[in-house]
Amino acid sequence: MLDYIQFVLAPQVVTGLAFGVAVILVALGLTIIFGLLDVINMSHGEFYAFGAFSALALNWLGLPFWLLLILVPLLMLPVGYFVERVLIQRVFNRPDRHVTTLLLTFGFGLVLEDAFRLGFGPNPYRPDTPIRGAVEFFGIFLPNYRLFLIVFGGFVIAGVALIVYRTRLGAMVRAAAFDRNMAASLGVPVAWVFAGAFAFGVSLAGLAGVLLAPVYSVFPTMGRDFILMAFTVVIVGGMGSIAGAVVAGLFLTQVQSIASLYISPVWTDPIVFGIMVVMLMVRPQGLFGRLGHA
Amino acid sequence: MPDALTVSMRASHALVGIFLLAAIAFAALGAALNDTFYLRLATEALIFGGLALSVDILLGYTGLLSLGQALYFGLGAYLSAVVLMAVPSFWLALASGLAAGLVLGLLGGIIAMRVRGVYFALITFGTAQVVAKVIYNTRSLGASDGLLGVPVIDINFGFVSLSSASPAGFFLVVLAVIVLLYGVSAYILDTPIGRLLIALRANDKRVPFLGYRTATLRLSSFVFAAVIATVSGTLYPMLRGFVSPELLFFSTSGNAVITVVLGGVGTLVGALYGSVMLTLLKSVIGTWTEHHLIVIGLLFMGAVIFLPNGLIGLVRPFIARLLARETKP
Repeated sequence: MLDYIQFVLAPQVVTGLAFGVAVILVALGLTIIFGLLDVINMSHGEFYAFGAFSALALNWLGLPFWLLLILVPLLMLPVGYFVERVLIQRVFNRPDRHVTTLLLTFGFGLVLEDAFRLGFGPNPYRPDTPIRGAVEFFGIFLPNYRLFLIVFGGFVIAGVALIVYRTRLGAMVRAAAFDRNMAASLGVPVAWVFAGAFAFGVSLAGLAGVLLAPVYSVFPTMGRDFILMAFTVVIVGGMGSIAGAVVAGLFLTQVQSIASLYISPVWTDPIVFGIMVVMLMVRPQGLFGRLGHA
Repeated sequence: MPDALTVSMRASHALVGIFLLAAIAFAALGAALNDTFYLRLATEALIFGGLALSVDILLGYTGLLSLGQALYFGLGAYLSAVVLMAVPSFWLALASGLAAGLVLGLLGGIIAMRVRGVYFALITFGTAQVVAKVIYNTRSLGASDGLLGVPVIDINFGFVSLSSASPAGFFLVVLAVIVLLYGVSAYILDTPIGRLLIALRANDKRVPFLGYRTATLRLSSFVFAAVIATVSGTLYPMLRGFVSPELLFFSTSGNAVITVVLGGVGTLVGALYGSVMLTLLKSVIGTWTEHHLIVIGLLFMGAVIFLPNGLIGLVRPFIARLLARETKP
């Protein structure tokens, strides 16, 4: 029994945790964008791939991984800002905002995905792992890079929560999410906050792309597979909830990784998506309240 | 004096008439030139046009964006493949698709109708994902390969019998079915029920004050759209001789949404024109580059921003005005 926990369960929990942290990073951007702008960003997975591909390209130019970890999210900020101002704002005030913005970002995702294929070809790249080796921990080997991913990702998630809940900037974001007209009349630069929050979410997706490139390879459709999980996490946690994204992200990735011990891994996807459908049926607002409302 | 909806429906009918004539001319030309490739491609465009039609009923009339309509289309195709492998009868396959559409639409509707707006889009998306993954992993349904070897069938019309292997003949059969589906949809949407669905889209809080149950109305439009999708799906294995799980995936649902937006949301006929346009675009661009998604994606974004009523939305008002002038005494 103890052997089972040590050699079967524990490594699976750690693998699931590393995946969970990455999913949460992507889901955070998605949930902030929905919570504030009321926009379902269907191209979010492609922004994740954008981050991974720009890291790959810059790495070929000779820039080290550690620099890219800071540089790529910074580069993604103007990309997100531009997309929000040029594309989203153009249709933002139409009566059926949900549908229109969803369709628009869906189209943009298609374009981005094909652009990656045009630039890099359809085959996957696997960048070198920046931290090699593994540590032995109570007799099991854990890859160093995954441990780094968990710790670093944990800090980023905590940082995001800190910014949103404990700074003046975060207060502006939450105020704008709660009532944009009231916030605007109190002097919050709402247009800037919207574009800024979109850029911030895109930047988080880019960061996840850089972090995960050495683990899951880089290929044009990488965002498509990954975003399903992020969407599930956001829905179960509550669209627009930061705490929800963290809790649901950790829970669902653990469900997936532990379930794959007992059933064939291909069947874990239907289980996770099934949880999402049931959640939408019984509690569409998710586990936690929306951004700015709690 | 017909109202605006009836006038625009008549304009749609006129456009379908043009579509039908062009399609028959195309079939005659194809048969004369002994073509197979283009006729089969056009048949496929028509079949996917049926799926787009079902998306338009939900999006354009009831105002519900379904991101999982491929679920019904794909299940119709799988059912038809299974039926055809057991009993090679066109009518049985079609009837089973109809029945399955009613049952599946009711089941899916009960799940999806619990939520509104953006959550509806997500729940249809999620349900389709679950079922697609289950089929993808089910060995007895061919798993990731799908079902291969659906036999060629003879379609018996009583006075004449056509083989599904005949490119022009089967094209005409599919054309007839799809135009019939259009006709039924257009008829139903032009009745008071159709007007109520449009009222739901405009303001769902006021409809109950007129004495109607919104839940029943929404559910019936969902079931109706599901039936249109499954019936269209049943035609697919007759054309291609196989079904694959890709038919249920999001890419198929997404393509149907692109078709409707390009063709024109809320026009019904836009789904048919859009599907032909999209297929044409893919094969034309496909001759000089494999990156047709960039072009289609950009066109789609352009349509969302600049042409919210799509191509037909641009053309139809002229035809409506033309028809109105003719009917004046």
